[in-house]
Amino acid sequence: MTKLQARNIVKHFDHNGNSVAALDGVNLNVEEGDFICIVGPSGCGKSTFLNIVAGLEKPDSGEILLNGKPISDSGPDRTMVFQEGALFPWLKVIDNVEFGLKMSGIPKDERSEISQRYLDMMQLTKFANSYTYQLSTGMKQRVAIARALAMDPEILLMDEPFAALDSQTRDLLLVELQLIWERTKKTIIFVTHNISESVILGNKVEVFKNRPSKIKKEIIIDYRRPRLAEDENLQKYYHQILDELKSEVIARTKDEIQ
Amino acid sequence: MSDNTLKKRKRNFDDAANAALFIAAFIGVWQLVFTLGIFPQISLPSPTMVAETFVKIIFNGTLFWSVGVTLGRLLAAFAVSITIGALVGFTMIKFKSFGKTLNSFSAGLLAFPSIAWVPFSILLIGFNEFGIMFVVVMSSVFSIMISTYSSIRNIPPIYLDAAKNMGAKGFLLFRHVTIPAATPSLIIGLRQAWSFSWHAVIGAEILMSIVGLGHILSVGREFLDMSQVIASMITIFTIGLLVDRFLLHKLEDKIRAKWGLDNHR
Ligand SMILES: Nc1ncnc2c1ncn2[C@@H]1O[C@H](COP(=O)(O)OP(=O)(O)OP(=O)(O)O)[C@@H](O)[C@H]1O
Ligand SMILES: [Mg+2]
Repeated sequence: MTKLQARNIVKHFDHNGNSVAALDGVNLNVEEGDFICIVGPSGCGKSTFLNIVAGLEKPDSGEILLNGKPISDSGPDRTMVFQEGALFPWLKVIDNVEFGLKMSGIPKDERSEISQRYLDMMQLTKFANSYTYQLSTGMKQRVAIARALAMDPEILLMDEPFAALDSQTRDLLLVELQLIWERTKKTIIFVTHNISESVILGNKVEVFKNRPSKIKKEIIIDYRRPRLAEDENLQKYYHQILDELKSEVIARTKDEIQ
Repeated sequence: MSDNTLKKRKRNFDDAANAALFIAAFIGVWQLVFTLGIFPQISLPSPTMVAETFVKIIFNGTLFWSVGVTLGRLLAAFAVSITIGALVGFTMIKFKSFGKTLNSFSAGLLAFPSIAWVPFSILLIGFNEFGIMFVVVMSSVFSIMISTYSSIRNIPPIYLDAAKNMGAKGFLLFRHVTIPAATPSLIIGLRQAWSFSWHAVIGAEILMSIVGLGHILSVGREFLDMSQVIASMITIFTIGLLVDRFLLHKLEDKIRAKWGLDNHR
């Protein structure tokens, strides 16, 4: 069943009077339970696309359908893990994790049970009562992931959530996220710079073109899970994606030199 | 931890010692100028004479009564100011073009001297409590209003995006995100408004009142009693300092610490 559909999404931005085309007709079908990874050169519009799916940004034209109905606003059914973390500095870690639950009126007991579970998963139990400035960048990112998971959304949107993590934590979370996905059959759209990450996580990898962007190629990865970073058999997917990306990065570099 | 509190205590002690030294030096210079007889005694009394006046106005109750009346007026007017200022500030956020228009007058409103409200207030309301309060309110309300408006407008959009994405809207969004996100900046506006109110209440009392700190200041002038003028000035200075340092500044420090705003490396 089609969960989410992006139809011909176009988005321009104004840069001091000049219009910059970020997205130029992105079409994407996301089936229920898909794990979609989006890769593309920096600045091609991956975050923009995710923001549009989340309903935080309006496209110039095109539409997003969720369960067949056009989305209107941002909402907790499509929870985002922001590239910048976006934790609230005035709340303790635990209150950050519980924020969305509180907003949907879930009672205190149930909230703390849920937040405990996800803090535990992210190995942050000891820091439940810390403020966010007392955490490292990677720890903040883990809080942001816990906060999004705690909301148990229909669709989880993740914007380079592992970029700031050390490789051990990242490997751990790569496995953990696959387990969560298999267990909950959640639909996930995951943006990343990192090709191996996309190969490990995605059942579909969407390669975005250089700006003005659209989807250049969809690569389907049908391979057993949990996939591990060191698995040799993933190499061929890795190289396939790398080839697609290389020309785009070169194109972008040329674009910037001119 | 205990090492830290110890350090802090030592720093506080050092600060206090420096302040005491500074006050002693000030009194010394004052005494010196007095002894040299540069000004006639009636224009510049000695520190001892001012101290005697202090003792007198403390024991006959004038000082406490005056401070009480002044602070009472100030607090009442400040409460009105915060209520109205915040409400108008929120309205400015809600209705964007209204906010923009009003904000474009803000420089004039903020720079407008509080004393300049006095004649208007006397004619509009009269020589009474409400007249004085009106001056105080008008002198601080714009500061609250503009600070509410700009504090909310300067909230990093990512906080609001994240909150909306987690289903916060309407009053919940306002209460749990907008207000806390704007707080560090709101506190600065509050401090500014407090100092404007303080200017205004003393100014208004000098011109319009028959009780209060500003009043005993102007009585001192009428009776050529410079000791009383100086004693009132010292009181005004001290209260202004104490309130800012031990109330508003403390509050600001607390909030900044909680937010991690003072952790610049
Ligand atoms: N609010 C904005 N105002 C103006 N231009 C913007 C805005 N947000 C994004 N852009 C532009 O849109 C393009 C795409 O930005 P976006 O953040 O989506 O890239 P990205 O693919 O997520 O990059 P990265 O991998 O570096 O995070 C960029 O050229 C950027 O300059
Ligand atoms: Mg991005």
